[in-house]
Amino acid sequence: MISLIGFSGLILSFIFNVIVIVSYYYKINQRFNHIFYLALYCSLFFMCLSFFALMFAYISSDFSNFNVFQNSHSSKPLLYKITGTWGNHEGSMLLWLLIMSLYNVFFSFNITLEDHVRKLTIVFQSFLYLCFSLFVILTSNPFLVNSIDSNEGLGLNPILQDPALAIHPPVLYIGYVGFSLILSLALAGLILNQLDNLWIQVIKRWAMFCWLMLTGGIALGSYWAYYELGWGGWWFWDPVENVSLMPWITGLALVHSLMITKQEQLLKRWVVFLSILCFSLSILGTFLVRSGILTSVHSFAADASRGIFILILFLTITGFSFIIFILKSPHSNKQINLLFINKTSALIINNIVMLIACITILLGTIYPIIIEVLTNKRMSVGAPYYNSTVLPILLPGFLIMSIAPMLSWQSNKLDKIKNYIYILIVTSILTLLITYLTKFNIWGFTGTILGLWIIAASLLSILHNCLKYKFKKFFIYNNALIAHMGVGIMIIGITFSSIFQTKNNFTIQTGEIVNSGQYSLQLKNLKIEEKNNFQELLGIFLLHKKNEFLTTIKSSKRYYYVSKVITTEAGIYHDWFQDFYLVLGNEKNNKWSITIYHNPLVSFIWIGVMIMIFSGMVGIFKR
Amino acid sequence: MNKIFLFVPLILVMLISIFCLVFLLQGKDPSKPPSALLYKNLPDFDIINLFDDADVISNKDLKGRIMLINFFASWCSPCKVEHPLFFEIKKKYPNILLIGIDYKDKQEEAINYLNTMGNPYDYVGMDNKGLIGLELGVFGLPETFIVNSKGIITYKHLGPLTKKIITNEFAPFIQ
Repeated sequence: MISLIGFSGLILSFIFNVIVIVSYYYKINQRFNHIFYLALYCSLFFMCLSFFALMFAYISSDFSNFNVFQNSHSSKPLLYKITGTWGNHEGSMLLWLLIMSLYNVFFSFNITLEDHVRKLTIVFQSFLYLCFSLFVILTSNPFLVNSIDSNEGLGLNPILQDPALAIHPPVLYIGYVGFSLILSLALAGLILNQLDNLWIQVIKRWAMFCWLMLTGGIALGSYWAYYELGWGGWWFWDPVENVSLMPWITGLALVHSLMITKQEQLLKRWVVFLSILCFSLSILGTFLVRSGILTSVHSFAADASRGIFILILFLTITGFSFIIFILKSPHSNKQINLLFINKTSALIINNIVMLIACITILLGTIYPIIIEVLTNKRMSVGAPYYNSTVLPILLPGFLIMSIAPMLSWQSNKLDKIKNYIYILIVTSILTLLITYLTKFNIWGFTGTILGLWIIAASLLSILHNCLKYKFKKFFIYNNALIAHMGVGIMIIGITFSSIFQTKNNFTIQTGEIVNSGQYSLQLKNLKIEEKNNFQELLGIFLLHKKNEFLTTIKSSKRYYYVSKVITTEAGIYHDWFQDFYLVLGNEKNNKWSITIYHNPLVSFIWIGVMIMIFSGMVGIFKR
Repeated sequence: MNKIFLFVPLILVMLISIFCLVFLLQGKDPSKPPSALLYKNLPDFDIINLFDDADVISNKDLKGRIMLINFFASWCSPCKVEHPLFFEIKKKYPNILLIGIDYKDKQEEAINYLNTMGNPYDYVGMDNKGLIGLELGVFGLPETFIVNSKGIITYKHLGPLTKKIITNEFAPFIQ
């Protein structure tokens, strides 16, 4: 019954989107104006109905629904029943549709744009909705009826039973899918030749919002990977991570380019190109992940017919957009002179750097496919490739970021350059001294100094602004600089946690004490606990630092009955400057093997990201 | 000159699509990792008869015939789905030795299950601690292995069998 309601909602929502497009086509007749918006709202209503029907089926453990049967289990806690709705391929595609529909309706309340641009944007968004809706209905219907009668489900992938991961997909999708609206806006602007200031103002806000959400989603995902996978790291260059990173980078370039377009009225063609590219990469990423063409920790059930369907969608949408781009692309009358040393040229160089980084990641991600097609050999591209290509490419970008605050927008003149030079030299000497006296590592040194430069230059700029505006609207004037400080903090965190990470293996008995660095760790006891849907082997450790008791750390392994999977839960002690990361291993002769990681400054990564998101949000609301 | 650059993204999109399409049409499925045991000798293990605790056989005794080893359990719903197919396999290929292994299950429940669903297996072994499963790398039920007459694992399938799989994929290994 509930499946029927859900499926009807899906179909009705599809029909109402067709009505939106048809009523636009007959727009000459003013009567259809009401129908246009009414159909739009109806489509959202039925989409919500469909989504909540699926959610209800999950909450009530309705195993007559095949999707619920495959992915849920009655003993699962309520929270994970709810989040189970989007923890699988079909449900997540339904979430995708819901978010597309929400964007469309929220966008229709926009009053800045002229009526015909807004309407055409809505029509394009509806068209995109239809494409993906067709995909869901034909290949990934979440409302199939279970052919066997069962009063128990097969369970959710237990690794997904985690609060951070429960909200990771929605946040990520709000960003990832939101780029569809950016594409619609770009197409509408192109076709109507309306790439004016209003258009830029509107697309800037929406692009910023999507990009921030994507940032948040990626950060949540990597935070989850950090404490759940028990590998001691937070980024693994997994294909799924890569495909979310690509639109993130182009989105970053887009958000920054929109700054110059507003200031300089240049580069409209570039902005439109990036707008198209963002969603194209989103679809390509979806294709790579959902077709099962690449293997990763995010395993969705692979299905070739789905793969071909998304590939056709990718080809149609992207191909169509790029053809429109070729035909209608705007001409800028002013040529940009890159010889200028100003903010505009710095941003353009940074844009190029980001695009190259994105292409490098794309190449690494699809290279195995190309090789297998051409030579029939299976190979994989891993972290060494990305670390040795992407990171060096990003370095000049960070360098420019650190000197950017001292450049001016229009002229070739350098502002108050002395102060900047002093502060950069002082930080460099200090860093050099400190690294020289401790462990010198060229990558560690480079990362630290770039991060410090960015922070120092941004701070100095903020100081100048404060002297000028006397703390009036502090966040409004300085939000971009604060965001850059966040980036600096993040770079330092990334550098330290990846280069100065130490890893030690021990075997330990109950009551025994092992020493690792300044810390000493005692295994207090081990116990087995029976939980609702898993059995947990829990090791309780006492952590001391210089003979002073700090905390008890719990590190455990879980065995999930239904899916028969063992997961590790790393025990982490967060310090401001160092994470103590403990993974429980296997038993041998009554001794347990444990792995201890010291991850310096990991918290800086999360703090940096939070600063970026916060100041970005301020940017959306500023006039 | 400038116009030519505009075509670059379109061409790239085409190229990527073509490669992915060819890849998909070749029917390669990286989600099926080649099992480490495939084309290797079946590891040695002892199986206790589900219906008689005293009856223990070693799989070494069984060499010389094509074996189909199916891991099942009474708690496993998809196993119920594929269960009737074993009767058909039995009928179609009477030469093969059908071995069922009851995985991480309670003995009485498994016996009950086979009594109600019928028992298509020539021999049913008990693996309530999952040790045999561990030897064979079983990580989800149902799982099915085919072992040839020389004791080499030639085929492995994860998940419930279907008629299509049996007619299309089994045939070369069974005959």
